[in-house]
Amino acid sequence: MNRSLGSRAPLLLAALLGAAVPALPAGAAEQPLGKDEKYRRTIERYEAPDVRLYDQEGRAVALRELLAGGRPVLLDFIYGTCTTICPVLSAGFANFQKRLPEAGARLVSITIDPEHDRPEVLKAYLARYGARPGWEFLTGTRQDVDRVLRAFGAYVPNKMAHYPLTLIRRPGDGRWVRIYGLIGTGELITEYEAAREGR
Amino acid sequence: MRGVLTAAPALLAALLLRAAAAFAAPAPEVEIAGYPPAEALRLGERIYRDGLLPSGEPVQAVVQGDIPVAGTMFTCAACHLRSGLGATEGTVLTLPTNGARLFAPLRRGAEYEPERQARVPRWFDSGLARPAYTEETLALALRGGVDPAGRALSGTMPRYLLRDREMALLVHYLRNLCAEPSPGVSATTLTFATVVADDAPEADRNAFLAALRAYVDSHNVQTRHPIRRAAADLAEPMYRAYRLMDLVVWELRGDRSGWDAQLRGHLAARPVFALLGGISGGDWGPVHAFCERERIPCVLPLTDRPVLSATDWYTLYFSKGPFQEGEAAARFLRREGGGATTPVVIVRRDAPAAAQFAAGAVAAAGGDAPPPVEVVLPAGAAADAPFWRALAGAHPGAAFLLAVGAGDLAAAGELAAAGPASSVFLSGGLLRGDAAAIPEALRPRVRLTWPRRLPGDGAKSALVAAAWAKNRGVGPGDPEIHAKVYTLGWLLTDVFMMMGEDFYRDYFLDVLDMEQDQTYASAVYPRLSFGAGQRYASKGCYVVAVGAGPKPALTPLSPWVVQ
Repeated sequence: MNRSLGSRAPLLLAALLGAAVPALPAGAAEQPLGKDEKYRRTIERYEAPDVRLYDQEGRAVALRELLAGGRPVLLDFIYGTCTTICPVLSAGFANFQKRLPEAGARLVSITIDPEHDRPEVLKAYLARYGARPGWEFLTGTRQDVDRVLRAFGAYVPNKMAHYPLTLIRRPGDGRWVRIYGLIGTGELITEYEAAREGR
Repeated sequence: MRGVLTAAPALLAALLLRAAAAFAAPAPEVEIAGYPPAEALRLGERIYRDGLLPSGEPVQAVVQGDIPVAGTMFTCAACHLRSGLGATEGTVLTLPTNGARLFAPLRRGAEYEPERQARVPRWFDSGLARPAYTEETLALALRGGVDPAGRALSGTMPRYLLRDREMALLVHYLRNLCAEPSPGVSATTLTFATVVADDAPEADRNAFLAALRAYVDSHNVQTRHPIRRAAADLAEPMYRAYRLMDLVVWELRGDRSGWDAQLRGHLAARPVFALLGGISGGDWGPVHAFCERERIPCVLPLTDRPVLSATDWYTLYFSKGPFQEGEAAARFLRREGGGATTPVVIVRRDAPAAAQFAAGAVAAAGGDAPPPVEVVLPAGAAADAPFWRALAGAHPGAAFLLAVGAGDLAAAGELAAAGPASSVFLSGGLLRGDAAAIPEALRPRVRLTWPRRLPGDGAKSALVAAAWAKNRGVGPGDPEIHAKVYTLGWLLTDVFMMMGEDFYRDYFLDVLDMEQDQTYASAVYPRLSFGAGQRYASKGCYVVAVGAGPKPALTPLSPWVVQ
C-alpha cells in the first residue's frame, strides 16, 4: 500500500522533536453522570506527596504516613464554608463512623480552601458533624494542598467548581477506589468492604 | 408660663386621640402556627438559617436515602444560601427556594412576565416545569421529596421530619424570603452609594471617587447596547438583567457620634441597593453597625480599622488590618520560631492600630507559653535607650512584638541585650512599609509582618490596574487606591453577571461569596478568597527578614498564610 508520508508527517515531526502526545490526566474534568449512573467507580493508582499538613489540633502530620498502613483509608476533599457537596460528604463520613465503629477505618478530609480553613475552623467543622476519633481534617500551605490535590486527580483551580469525590485506599495493593458522585451510607459501606477485601 | 399655655390645646388633643385609639378595635393579626407574624418569621428563620426548631432541638432529616442529618450539621441556608436563591457548585445544582420563585410557576427555558410569555410562539413554548407551590405541596416536597409536578427531588435534598406547626413556620419564612426586590432597584437602574468620610485625606478621597466613578461610567457606556436588546420581546435574560448604575456619594462629616444620624438621613433621602467601597481614615465601626442594622451590603471599603466579628454579615473587608499582622507574628513565633514556649512581650503606644496588632498577637498566642506581657508606652514617654535596655533586662530570651512606628525605633537596638535567641517582630503596616527606618543594628533579629504582596511581586497586576486608571482618565492619585477600586470593579462585573435579575441585597452578597480566588486582579494582596460568610478577603500576612542598607531586601520566612 502506498501511503504518502504527508498524512503522517505531523506525528512524525512531533515524535522527532520529542513532543509528548498529551494524555488526559486522571480525574480531569469528570464527565457528568449518565441518567442511570448512580455513581462512578474506578480503580486508580495514586502516590501521596511527601508533605506535612496540619490537623484540626494544629499538629503537623506527615501525609504519606497517615495514608499508609494496614487499615483502609477514606479520603475526601472539602472546605469549611462549602455550600452543597461537602455537607453531604461529611454527613456521610459521620454516619459511616457511627454505623461501623469497629472498622477502625481512618477517615481523612483535606481542605481545598487552606487560606480560610485554619485548624480552629477544621475543629469546629468536625464537632458540628459529631466526628469521632479517627477522622482527621487537614490543612496546610496553598502550595502543599495543591500538590496533594494534583496527586489525587482532584485539582480544580476554582473551589466552587469542585465535585463530589470519595477515595478509598485498598490496604492490599495500595490502590485507590475512586468514587465520583454523592452516595449514601449503604453504598459507602459496600464499597468500603470491597476495598478492604481487595475486590 | 406662656409656653405651657400654648402647649395646652395640643396636649389635650393628643390625650383625646390616645383615648380614642384605646377604645378602637385593634386590627386582627394573622397568627401562624399560634405565633404572631413577626415571631413566626423569627422562628422560621431559625429553622432555615440555624437548623433549630422552636424547641431548641436540631431539625432532623435524611439525605441520600439513608444518611441522618441533624440541623447542627448543615442547614437549609448552607445549600440554598442566606438569600434562598441557591447555587451551582461543581456538578450539583441547588435550586432557588425563595418566595418569589417558589410561589410562582416554573417554566422551562426563559421565564417572562405574563404579557411577554403570552407572545412566545407556541412551538417555542416548552411549557410548565411545575406549577406554583402551595403550602400543602411545599410540605409534601420537604417531607417526601416530590414536587407539585410529581417529579422526585434529587437525593441530595434532605427529606425533613417536621411537625405541622414547624412546617407552617418554615413555609411562612420561605414565603417571605426574598419575595420582593430590594430597595434601590428600578426597571432601568441600580442605585448604589459610597461612604466618603472627611477624616480621610482629601487626595485619597478624590483618588477613590475618581476611580469608582470611572468604573461606573464604563459600566454605563453599554457598548453592546444591552438596554436596546432588553427591549426586544424575547430578549435573553442576560440583557434583561442589565441595569445602569447610579452612584450616590454619602459624605460623613465631623465626630463619629453623629455618623449614624447622617447615614440614616442619606438612606432616607434616596434608597440604595448596596454600598460600594467607601473610604475613611479611622474607625469604620459606625458604618459597619449601620449596614448590619439596615441589612445593606457594603463591599470592600478602604479602611485600616475594620470591625472584627466572626458572625456579622453585611460588610466584606479587604483584610482584618493590623490585627491580622499581630496574628501572623504570634503564629509564626509558635510554628517556626521554635517558640512554643518563648515568652512574648508586646510593646505599643496607646493608639488604635497598635492596640489591634497587640490584640491579634494575644488572640493567636497559645501553646505552652505564658500569656503575652503587654507594655503600653504612654503618649509623653520616650522610647529611649534606657527604656529598651530595661525591657531587655527584664525579659531575657523573650520575643518582642513591637507595635510601634518608625519614630520609636531609634534606640531599639538596645534589645540585643536580651540575648541572641531573642527575636524582634515589627509591623510593616505600622511602619507604613518603610523597612529602611529599622535601625541596622536591629535588622538581623527582626521579623517583619508584611500584609501585602512582596516588593516586585505582582508587577503585572499593578500594571493592569494602572493602565485601566490611565485609560479611563482617572487622573493622579495613590496607585494603591486605584488598584483596590480596580479589584472591586472586577468582582462587581462578575457579580452582575451571576446575579441576573434576582436583585436582592442578600443574594448580592451570596453571589460575591461564590467568587473564585483572585490573584490576577489584585495588585495589593497576593490572594483574595471568598466563601459563605467569609468577611475578610485577604487571609494572609507574610513574615519577612529585613536586609541591610537604605533599600533593604525583604526575604519571606513564611508562606502567605501562616498556619
